[in-house]
This record gives sequence, structure tokens and C-alpha cells, in this order.
Amino acid sequence: MGFITFENVEREYKIGCEIIKAVDNISFGLSQGTLNVVLGQSGAGKTTLLNLLGGMDSPTAGKIVVNGKKISGMSEYDLTEYRRTQIGFVFQFYNLVPNLTALENVQLAEEICPEPLGAEEMLKRVGLENRINNFPSQLSGGEQQRVSIARALAKNPQIILCDEPTGALDSETGHKVLRLIRDVSKDLRKTVIIVTHNAPISEMANTVLHMRDGKIDKLQFNERPKDVEEIEW
Amino acid sequence: MVKGTLFIKSLRDIKRSKSQFISIFVMATLAVFIMTALDSIWYTVEKHSHTMYESTNLSDLWITVANPSEQQMWGIGKIEGVELVEKRFIADADTDLPGGPVLQVYALDDRSTLDQPKLEKGAIGKSAGAVLDSKFAEIYNLKIGDYISIKLNGKWLRLQINGLALISEHVFAVKNSSIITPNHSDYGFIIISTNVLESIYGQKIYNQISVKTSPDSDLASVVQKAGDFVGNNLIGITLQKDSSSVSSVNSRIQQFKTLSLVFPVLFLLVTALITQSTMVRMVENQRPQIGILKALGYSKRSILWHYTSYGVIVGVLGSIFGLLTGPNILGRILVYQLKLILASYSLKINYGNFIFVLILILICTGGVSFFACRQLLSDTPSVLLRDKPPKSGQRIILEYIPSFWQKMKFSGKLIARNIGENKGRLVMSTIGVMGCTGLIISALTVRSTLSGIGDYTYGKTFTFDHKIILNTTKTNSKYLKNLELNGIAQQMEESAIQVIFSDGSQKMEPVSITTKESPLIHLQSIDGTPVTLPDKGVLLTRKLCKERDLNIGDTISIKLTGKGYAAVPIREIAYVASGQGIYMTDTYWESLGEKFKPTALLVKWNDQPDRKLLDSDIVSDLATRESMQDSLSSSLGVVNFAVMFLIVVGASLAFVVLYNTGILNFVERIRDLATFRVLGFHHNEIRYLVLIENYISVFLGMLSGIPVGRFMSWIIASTIDERLDLLGNINLRDVVIAVVMTLFFSRIVNNIIAHKMKEIDIFEALKSVE
Repeated sequence: MGFITFENVEREYKIGCEIIKAVDNISFGLSQGTLNVVLGQSGAGKTTLLNLLGGMDSPTAGKIVVNGKKISGMSEYDLTEYRRTQIGFVFQFYNLVPNLTALENVQLAEEICPEPLGAEEMLKRVGLENRINNFPSQLSGGEQQRVSIARALAKNPQIILCDEPTGALDSETGHKVLRLIRDVSKDLRKTVIIVTHNAPISEMANTVLHMRDGKIDKLQFNERPKDVEEIEW
Repeated sequence: MVKGTLFIKSLRDIKRSKSQFISIFVMATLAVFIMTALDSIWYTVEKHSHTMYESTNLSDLWITVANPSEQQMWGIGKIEGVELVEKRFIADADTDLPGGPVLQVYALDDRSTLDQPKLEKGAIGKSAGAVLDSKFAEIYNLKIGDYISIKLNGKWLRLQINGLALISEHVFAVKNSSIITPNHSDYGFIIISTNVLESIYGQKIYNQISVKTSPDSDLASVVQKAGDFVGNNLIGITLQKDSSSVSSVNSRIQQFKTLSLVFPVLFLLVTALITQSTMVRMVENQRPQIGILKALGYSKRSILWHYTSYGVIVGVLGSIFGLLTGPNILGRILVYQLKLILASYSLKINYGNFIFVLILILICTGGVSFFACRQLLSDTPSVLLRDKPPKSGQRIILEYIPSFWQKMKFSGKLIARNIGENKGRLVMSTIGVMGCTGLIISALTVRSTLSGIGDYTYGKTFTFDHKIILNTTKTNSKYLKNLELNGIAQQMEESAIQVIFSDGSQKMEPVSITTKESPLIHLQSIDGTPVTLPDKGVLLTRKLCKERDLNIGDTISIKLTGKGYAAVPIREIAYVASGQGIYMTDTYWESLGEKFKPTALLVKWNDQPDRKLLDSDIVSDLATRESMQDSLSSSLGVVNFAVMFLIVVGASLAFVVLYNTGILNFVERIRDLATFRVLGFHHNEIRYLVLIENYISVFLGMLSGIPVGRFMSWIIASTIDERLDLLGNINLRDVVIAVVMTLFFSRIVNNIIAHKMKEIDIFEALKSVE
């Protein structure tokens, strides 16, 4: 049993009278403190997988256990509570609240958690100590993504889920963000799951889940994950 | 002008933002609905009453005088501006009908042309027979050819009904000024020939000169000259506009004129604010589309018109719908509630004012839309087509008070900044809620005030059990004083007297003369302290003083019987809710050389009423305090309807604005809210973030609604009836009810919004990328 376990998980959507299996009978386990990548083309079911793990969606069949707790079949309220305490989210488009400053965006997360890490400290950690009072519109894309990572970290979650975190960034900034994610995983022993269609990124992961048509094509363990600097795309 | 496809685009856009455009539509409709309805009421009454006055050849003034002489008639006829002079006899008469209704008798000469009846059925029987009040006849089921007996000068007179008619002086007819609503089973009129009077008085007699003047004549100077000419014999002069029926009708016209101006203001304001918030948002969202249109070569003007047309289309549709429904539904219901007796009630619509309100609506919708999109048009297509610059956070004033700002939670900060960004929306919903609370307060206040008059007049001012209207030929003051009676009694003389005010104007005013010791009439000043009748001078009611700008110490001139005028000082002012006029003591009246001739005896019994006295021949009519209070409050039926209506209107106001603010807060920030959900915020926390602005505007709106309600109560109270002195003070109970109702309405809206929020899959918002 891993830290995160999926057992025969299915997620069906009904579109019209057609039933589409976005996630089709998948099983896998991930250990705590690892960095994992879910790799696949668009439509492969990556985001659905991430949503299931993040408690934003519930499977139609199968069992998901995280940190010893079965989250499949949880009530809406308990799922929210789960997201609140266990999950940190990093989005492709950052999703910062435009009306709040960098610091306030992080405080937003801090305020609802039982054991938060300091907001200012987290912003320092991502290298933004000089920009804490700026609004998102005054920050570059890379800076915004770093605020978003700080926000995810401030909640002191067990798991950090990243949906195409470099998708909207240029290569250099992307590298910086990935290194930050890598360091966080290592230093703070956070389990990180990155969803991407960008194959080279998977070289930095401990575990790579190759997805296609809602199924896991291949489960790949890297004995020696590459350093972020060695990755080229 | 509107291009075909652009027009289709506007219709589809409107459909897409239907909840906002429905709100604009509803507000525009309500504004026009109320305005045209209230307008049609006074307009209908004005048109039909004037038609009636003209067709019956209503006199411009009446000079009441005992036995007018030919010389007086001739002299008045010579006054500049006087066209026609006639004389008539007028008196109240008992009837032989069950319940003892009273008929006002008009005896006209056969050749008379002034103050004619408007016949509904039959003929003017000249010489013999009578023309009867058709409304009265209907109630007592009297037909042409039937007989009715009336008692004049103590003698019964049996008359055959030749015709049924209406007259201009009974469009609104009440037996006396203490009655608010006409009661046609109690009081009507009958027209007879002066020839008939011979059988009673032994000769033709007259007591009033009717005068018709030319339209451009100076009435004040005619009154003065006529008064001078008649001299000591003058009893009083009444102008058409001051006569009971005409002035009551005019005060109703005025009342609805005022209300039709006051009420729509709120709705126009809210219409403008909703349009503003809707169009600003729409134009912002359609930035790229505007870029495309510009790139395609559409002129600035046609794009501007395109966006203006959104407001125009909805505004015009709402106005037309309001025009179709307002007069026909509300107007039709209310116009009958006025209890006026007019020959026709066919509803007249004041199109002039409709055009006026339509223009206002177009400014509030089209004009506002125009300004909302004008700003964007200055950008070039390339700028417009480029990605929208990210919405920038704005600092607000609060942040410059760091000690305060830093203590706030993020939710507080977020809310504060959102409000800073959407000030217009907060103003809109605050004004809407303010209107809601204000309307409910004014509705309840008017209701309380009206039901309060009865309590005040017959609880505080008058404390008698019976008011005996005396047969003055069978009794006098001395007799009444010596009357042995098991209770307390107070004598009173009620009549009307010609008064010349300090500005030279003349009018007949009601006068009440009673004993200095006043055990059954308790006059009070406005602040509630008891006021006694002055020894040397008169007391005036507050409203009369206000109308004439009079104060204690000023002097008025009153006409004495068979003599000239006496200047009397005003020594006291009292607040009397119902029945305005002059009060004085019998001793003061007699010191002016007059005789105190009580017309009424107020009695408070120690035990059972003395039947023997009540059945004696000194009693001409009898009323209990309860029955008088009932007849005063019988008008409350209309008020209840108005209260219901105002509450519904107020609720719709609050509903529309709160729904709009709530939904816009949700839709515009759905991405942020979705992020919050992902971060682990619960449903109710999100709901709080969305609805907090509603709570704030409800709070602010209710607070500001109290003075607004006070103001509207005051306007309604001061226009409701000229015979009533209504203060329109709001009381705590009504304010609390209004606040509770407002909270209840906002609760409903918030629940609807919360329900809608649950229905929408909020995570979807994260997938769609800008």
C-alpha cells in the first residue's frame, strides 16, 4: 500500500446518450515525498485523474485512498475539508485572485488551514520577498506562478498537485518553477504530482504514469531522476 | 441605423443576459406603470369633472344671504366680470326613508340656467315634482314616478320623482366636514322648483345668489365688491374652488399629481443604475467583438447605436408594457376608490406625461448605455482585438490606514476591494433596498396615521357618548342649561362664517362655538399640552393657520350677522386631526353682539342614556361617538389596498436589485470563487463572500430607507385630504415591521441566489481559459 492508492478507479461522463470513460479502471500506488509526473496527450484523462485525487470530483467506481483515508465516496463537505488540509493546487494559469496582493493571495490559503506555514516565509521561499505587496497584474507570469506555489505551500498540505505548471511560461522561467517544485518536494517531504503533456519533464520524476485513453499505458520508475538543469525542451 | 445582423446580435445578447435585461424591463415597466396609472387617475377625474362643471353650468361663486333683494341682484350683475346672476334656495331636509337620510334641497327658478342637474333619466319637471340624486335613488330603489317626502321648515312635502340626475356640487358630497368618505345612503340631493316652496313658506324664498363670471375676471375683486354691495346682510361667499365638492375633487387631483411625480423617481433611478451595471459589464466583455466590428469597417456611430439600442429596446418595451397595464389595471381599480360621482369614468390617459416619462426612461436606459460604451470606442481595433489587459487590483482608501487594514482578514480585504471596484452596484442595491424600506414605512405610516385620526379625534379630542343635533326651533341655550340630565353635557354651535384674512382674501370657514368650560371637548396643542378656549379672541386649528400663514397674535375679520366685520385676535392654536376651522367661547361670541344658538348638545351619560330626552322633539339627529369614529375610519379599505400595493412594489424593487447584485457578484467572480473552492473553502463560506455585498446594501438601504419613508409619509399625509391635519410621523412599530419585511424579502432573494450557485458546477469555470 502506498501513500496514495488508486484501485480500479473509473470516472464516467454522460454526454448526450454516449458514455465516456475519462478514467478507465486504473490502479497504481505512489509513496510519500516523491515527485511524480502524469504524462499524456490532451484528452488522455490526466486532468480527471488530478481532479479525482484533488477531491474536486468523485469516481463512479473504484477506491481512492490517500494517507490512509478513503476519499472516494466522501461527502461534499468532507471532500472540501480534505482539500483544505491535504491538498495544494498549482494551476497552469495561476488563478490568483486579481483583487488581492501577492501576500494576501497566500494569506487566503493560510487563513483556512489548521497548521499553515507563514505566508511571508513562503513568499521568501519562492524568492518573492520584494514583491509581496504587488497585485497579480503587476507580476510576470513566472512570478505569478511562484505566488501560486507559495499559496499551495502555505497550507502545509501533504500533496501538491500541479496542472501543467509550466504550460504558460517560457522555457527559462519554466525551469525555475520546476526547480522550485523539486526543492519543495525534497526539502519539505511533500508528495508532488505534476500533470503535463510535455514528455521531457517526466525525466525529473520518481514515478511516471503514461496515460492514454483513460488508461495507464505504462508505469515507469526512474532509479535516478534527472536534475531540472539537465532537462531540455 | 440598425443593421439587420447587428439587430439580431443585440436580441441574442439580450437573451444571453436575460436576468439583467428582465430587471431593466421590470423597473422601466414599474416606473411607467405607476406614473401612468396615478396620472390617468387625476387626469380622468379632472377631465370628467370639468366636463360636468361645464355641462351643468356650475356657478363661479355663491353669495349666501338672507332674502336677496332685486336691488342686490342688479348691483352684483353690474360688477365688472360678472356675466350672469341668479338666485336659489338651499337647505338640508329630512326624509321619510328608513335610516333617516338627509337630502340637500336645491330649489331653482323654472327659468334658471346655472347649477343645472345632469339628467340621467326622466325630465326636469319644472314647477311640480323633483329631480332626485340618481345614486341615492339607486340605493333606496326609487324610480321615476315614485314619491318621496321631505321635511322643510317642520312641514312634510310629498314630491313625485320626475328625473334622476347628478350635479356638480355632489361629485363628492359629505353631510359634514367630520365625514371623510361620502355615504350615499346617508346623504344626497334633491332639486325642486321654487314654486313648491310657496306651499311651505307661503311665498317663493331664496337664500343664495349664484354668480357666473367671465373666464378672465378677477374673482377676488368680484368677491370683495359683491361683499361690499350686499353689506350687512351677507352671510358668506363661497368660491367654486372652495365649495365642498369642488375642493375635495381638486385635492384628490392634486394628491395624485404629487404622487405620480414622487413615486416613479425611485424606479427611474434604479432603472438607470441597473442599466449602467449591465451595460458596463457587457461592453467590457464584448471588447473583442467591438474590435471586430471596427475592423470590419462599421462606423463608430453605428457601433455606438448598436450598444445604445440594448437599453432603448428594453426601455421602450417596458414603457409600452407599463402604459398598457398601468392605467388599465391600477388606474381602473383606484379611480373607483375615490368614490366620486361623475357622469363618466371612461379612463383618460395623459399622453403628454407618458411621453415625458418615456423620455426619462430612454435617458435612464439608452442614455446610460451610450455612455457605458462610448469610452471603449476611442481605442483602435488592434488594441481592442488584443487580449484584455488583466484586471488590475485596486487599492482603496482603507488601505492607507495600515493599523486597521492589517488587522483585517483576507475575506474582509477582498470584500472591501470588491466593493471599491463595484461602487455603482452597491449604490444600486442600496437605493433599491432603501426604496423598499421607504415604501413600506410610508404605506404603514399612512395606514397608522389614518386609523390614528379616529382614535385621536374620538378618543382624545371628543369624549362624549352622544352628539345630539338639535332642532334649533324647539330649544335654546337657556333651556339646555337647565335640562336635568343624568350626565355631563356641553352645548355647541356649529356653522360657517365669512372670514377676511390679513392678506385680503375671503373664505367661509367652519366655526365652533362652545362653553369656556369644556368637559367633553379637549383641545390640545401640537405637542400634546391641553389648550383652553381664550376669553378674548379665537382659537384656530393648526392646519388653517399653516395654510394662511397665521400666528398667535394675528387678527382675522369675521362677518357678524346683519352687521359688518369684527376683527378678532388669534389667541391659541390647537392641533385638530379632523375638521379644521375656528373655535371660540359663547361669551366671546356674545360679546361681539351675537347670540349663542347651540346646534348640538354633547352628552356623556353617567349611566344609561336618557331615552326620554333622546326621543324628545328637540332632537333632530343623533350620533354616537363610535358611529362617528366608524364613519371616519371607513375610508381605510382603500388604504389597505394601497398598503398592499406599495409593499408589493417595494418588494419587487428590493428583489430586482439584490438578485442582480448577487448574481453579478457570482458570475463575474466565478473563477476566483472556483479557486477558493479548490483551496478548500466550504459552500457556505463562498456564499458569504458572494452575498456579503447584499447584506451590506440591505443594512445601508434599511438605514437610509427610514428617512426616505419619513419623507414619503409626510408627502402622502399632507396631500391625502385637506380637511385632515395628518402629521405623517413614523412610529417605531411600523419601522420595525418595514425592516423585518425588508429582511424577509432579502432573505428570499439570497436563498434563490444560493440555490442557483449550487446548481452551477463551479469547477467548470477553471477549465475555460481566458
